[in-house]
Amino acid sequence: MLTIKILGSGCPNCKRLEQLTVKVVEQLDIEAEVIKVTDPTKYADYGIMSTPGLVINEKTVSAGRIPSIAEITTFVTSALATG
Amino acid sequence: MFETIFDFLVRLLSSGLGNLAAYLAAHVLLCLLPAFYIAGAMTALIPKETITRYLGRNTPKIISYPASAAAGFLLAVCSCTVIPLFAGIYKKGAGLGPAITFLFVAPAVNILALSYTGTVIGMDLAIARLVLSIAFGIGIGIIMALIFHKADAAHDQATDSMFAGQASMRRSTVVFLLLLVALLIVGTFQIELLKQTYFAMELPISSLDRFQNWLFQMVPFDASRGEEGVTAQGAFLIVMLVLIGITSWKGIENIFEGFNIWTWVSIVLVGLTLFFASLGISPAAGSLTLHFTGKSIGVLLIIILLGWMLKTQLTEDETRDFLWESWRFIKQIFPLLVVGVFVVGMIRELIQPEWIQALAGSNTVFGNFIGVVFGVFMYFPTLVEVPIAQMFLSLGMHRGPLLAYLISDPELSLQSILITAPIIGRLKAWVYVAWVTLFSTLAGLLYGAWVDGTSLGVVSLYLLAILALLMLSLWWGNYRNGAKTRTVRL
Repeated sequence: MLTIKILGSGCPNCKRLEQLTVKVVEQLDIEAEVIKVTDPTKYADYGIMSTPGLVINEKTVSAGRIPSIAEITTFVTSALATG
Repeated sequence: MFETIFDFLVRLLSSGLGNLAAYLAAHVLLCLLPAFYIAGAMTALIPKETITRYLGRNTPKIISYPASAAAGFLLAVCSCTVIPLFAGIYKKGAGLGPAITFLFVAPAVNILALSYTGTVIGMDLAIARLVLSIAFGIGIGIIMALIFHKADAAHDQATDSMFAGQASMRRSTVVFLLLLVALLIVGTFQIELLKQTYFAMELPISSLDRFQNWLFQMVPFDASRGEEGVTAQGAFLIVMLVLIGITSWKGIENIFEGFNIWTWVSIVLVGLTLFFASLGISPAAGSLTLHFTGKSIGVLLIIILLGWMLKTQLTEDETRDFLWESWRFIKQIFPLLVVGVFVVGMIRELIQPEWIQALAGSNTVFGNFIGVVFGVFMYFPTLVEVPIAQMFLSLGMHRGPLLAYLISDPELSLQSILITAPIIGRLKAWVYVAWVTLFSTLAGLLYGAWVDGTSLGVVSLYLLAILALLMLSLWWGNYRNGAKTRTVRL
């Protein structure tokens, strides 16, 4: 099962990323846990300098912007492939 | 005689409307609309690494302090960028000093607030805000680093790979951003070259003058207070704004799922609106004259260039991010601004000029302090502090305390203190608040002195003296701390 973390504290971009990620997970019909990380002291641990950040299975795949649905799909599928 | 409640309410409402109309006038639009897109471009197109690579732990202080000020100006337009960057710089980068500089500079010199201040109140205040915020931002950073030197030394031992990135901007994106800035400048600068009409076109459109007179009657304004009524041009622009809002909603709101025709329609509408706002319009009985000023020619040229660049030079990802971020700022800020301006217009009827003049009518320490206190305790949505400042100005506040208010308002709200405290600890947060209060008051005093006639030279001397004092304390503090370490090693 994938653990997907969305790093962001309630700004509209972060909410949008969460929305899109959930959509991708539903579309691909996979098992994934989507967690929101809102503690700013944790962002630096993932190497994130600006939110929103997307972390899949503890690997940071995107930072500081909202990737398109196509990009998120690519991130998720390659994370699934590498197990 | 006493007003009836009804008359009173009508007076309030029309004052609110009048204020709103003045703010939607052509010249404000020409400043605010490009500023939103500049903010969007800065957020979407400038990679953080261009600046943060200068913020690593081993960067000499002479570079990291100006770099964090630059980061505050170029990288952080919304608080969702400020907080993570601040946390990152503090924990993994150059430490407390530059992080505090960044924290102070970012809200103070955000591009939207600066250009809005410049257009509505005056370029002198905007420039003062920029220069003094950076000077004092660096000062406060240095002081905080000095005071909390011991705590700062116990650093997180992780590597600062976060700050070692090598990203740079493509030439096209730099040009695109510069063109946007040029658009803002050409649209708002009041110089002869731009104000002059180079040719005029008369159109056989009649009765717009009657429409305009009707508007002047419907939405009253007080010319002695510098208010402008809603002209026919203004009314047309308001309609265009509404159309832009609708098409942007349809075209940009879901842009991550794909572009559609409305995306392009909204872009074209923005271009048209800006061009139309830049024309001079004189309705007369039986005709309508369009004045093509230097400004309108410049705006037209730049818009065409920008449109071409958007279509051909920017990648799809860049275009999408740019449009999304710009639209996000518009969505977040503009509606609140409209409401805020309206409410400010109403409040202005209720406040007596005598109160303001008694408290902050002249450039005293007390006056500046009042400006800061007001900035701290009143929380307003972004950009609304500008119409409020203008209201105070028209009620008699001196420009010095005004600057103090404008600098401290974005810095110190209960909310921002609550956010900063968990990252650096409550003691440091409150010490920061104290220093910001002091420096905002000082900044107001200095600027107020200049306004009152003290020469720029003398004021700069004062500023340099203060900064020199800070430098000396930094050197002395380092020396003393070094001595302590030496003693311990013995």
